[in-house]
Amino acid sequence: MTSPIVSVHNLTKSYSRGGETMRVLDGLNLQMDEGDFIALMGPSGSGKTTLLNMVGGLDRPDQGDIDVAGDPIAEMSGAELAHWRARTVGFVFQGFNLIPVLTALENVELPLKLTKLSGKERREHAKYALQLVGLTDRMHHRPSQLSGGQEQRVAIARAVVTDPKLILADEPTGDLDRTSASQVLDLLAKLNTELKKTILMVTHDPHAAERARTIVHLDKGQLGRIERNAPAPAAARI
Amino acid sequence: MLPFKLVRKNLLRRPLRATLTVLSLTVAIFLICFLRTLITTLTAGVEHADSRRLAAMSSTGLFVELPLSYQQKIDAVEGVERTTKFQWFGGYYRSMKGFFAQFAIDGEAMFAMYPECEVSPEQQASFLHTRNGCIVGDALAADSKFDFKLGQTIQINSPLHPTPGNQAWDFVVCGIYHSKSPNFDNRTLFFHWEYFEETLKGEGHPPGVGVYAIRVKPDADIPAVIANVKGLFENGPQRVDCNTEAEFQRQFVTMFGNLPLFVGWIGTGVLIAIFLACVNTMIMSMREQLSEIGILKSLGFTDRSMFGLLIAQSFTLCCVGGALGLLLAWSTQRGVENLLGTSFPGYRILPATFALAAVIAMLLGLFTGLAPAWRVAKLRCVEALRSVD
Repeated sequence: MTSPIVSVHNLTKSYSRGGETMRVLDGLNLQMDEGDFIALMGPSGSGKTTLLNMVGGLDRPDQGDIDVAGDPIAEMSGAELAHWRARTVGFVFQGFNLIPVLTALENVELPLKLTKLSGKERREHAKYALQLVGLTDRMHHRPSQLSGGQEQRVAIARAVVTDPKLILADEPTGDLDRTSASQVLDLLAKLNTELKKTILMVTHDPHAAERARTIVHLDKGQLGRIERNAPAPAAARI
Repeated sequence: MLPFKLVRKNLLRRPLRATLTVLSLTVAIFLICFLRTLITTLTAGVEHADSRRLAAMSSTGLFVELPLSYQQKIDAVEGVERTTKFQWFGGYYRSMKGFFAQFAIDGEAMFAMYPECEVSPEQQASFLHTRNGCIVGDALAADSKFDFKLGQTIQINSPLHPTPGNQAWDFVVCGIYHSKSPNFDNRTLFFHWEYFEETLKGEGHPPGVGVYAIRVKPDADIPAVIANVKGLFENGPQRVDCNTEAEFQRQFVTMFGNLPLFVGWIGTGVLIAIFLACVNTMIMSMREQLSEIGILKSLGFTDRSMFGLLIAQSFTLCCVGGALGLLLAWSTQRGVENLLGTSFPGYRILPATFALAAVIAMLLGLFTGLAPAWRVAKLRCVEALRSVD
């Protein structure tokens, strides 16, 4: 029996737009076990990205509890949350979100500046992460000199370089062509199966979702249908 | 922890904008040094005035002459140790562009009363024994416009004091003096009163005196001496205004109006303009970096470190501009001094002025980054990331 790495209880979040309050998450409960790979699907506005941001400590809930890797993150201060993110979570965004003025290697090295590693050690770790995503020969290129697929692989290398427990991916293939998307999904699957990383991925793409062990559907801020693609270490549980 | 590499790379993201901002700062800091030095140059005479020296001039104004006979009466006032006289010559060398300060003086008395006027004993003796001899300040002699040499005979035309027959006055350069004290200008020519008086007497116009310099005895009651000197000539023929040397210098400065205040306002205007220009640059820079701030925050960089990132950028920008401005001010000092010529003799940027300009550059760096830094520190991570889309 594996332990839950993400535990979300009665999560509520509303946004105000034009004087109107929209409830994006409505008392949502979710538990995710270590080593799992969950794809979150649902129509636009169903609360997928909001949930991802809450689990990653990028946004705060109005109500409810979130425990990630044993830490109750809803109660943390801004600075505590930042430190927590640095050691616990790796993010992969749809728009790649690399720093344009830095090379691939410098981008991957960036999160390691928050660790106690020496400059040399940081560089070695970053090179290893780039090797993992097959971009050793592009390490000194800037994002503008890379293809979309390569940029996203650099972003994945940056997400795993600190060896986080949880990887959160928001539409990681949304801006990619079919071939590049397939490479990125292969990489995420490899991280899950070989490196035992727990992955929560938001996607609209059913093909991308098929690569996850479990597909969880969200609708109007509440959990819907759950599909299992392959025997998972543990299923997502409501 | 700050990603310092990002500070440099973000600054160079828009090389043209960064260069223009740095150049603006360079000019502004240069101007601060220049304007501040105008004030310190003007007020140097006041600050370095000799406390035992007084100046007596016509109460009507500096250009109204006092009778020669006043000297003997002033000498007799209790507490007065010695007096000497100065008369403004107002001449020019070769053309009106060759204008500089010249005074007719009592050589021996002036050397005795102004020890800051340093000239070698040989040159001093040569000057005292040459009827039409003169001494010139080393800054004046070195000025490429004049290039005066020892032994050279120079001709000065004075519209105020023309010679009989309207010929130019001949002076032989017998000495080159140097004064370390800012109250004694190194761009002046001094020549003998006797030569001046005898030449003008021939024309039937014996000269008057512009200013009597008075040295009081060490134990003299200075206010009493001043009052007594003024009292001596209460009933004319020319009433006298007598003041300490510091007060005289202060009055001389205010003849131009309240120049320090005026220059101070210009300096403040320059500061405000460059402050706004730098704030604008930093706000534009912050807007370009918003999404990256979101990325950095998502990676675990704190609000405080993002605040520091923006402040470090503005600080670096202003320090680079400031350093170049200081370098420009330092390297052009001699050129500016020559350009200003006799308008601001003794133009020299003081170490305190350099320090003030450096502090201003650093404060600009801190304050211009405050608003954008505060904004990014307060920005929620998701809001910053949303600016990507």
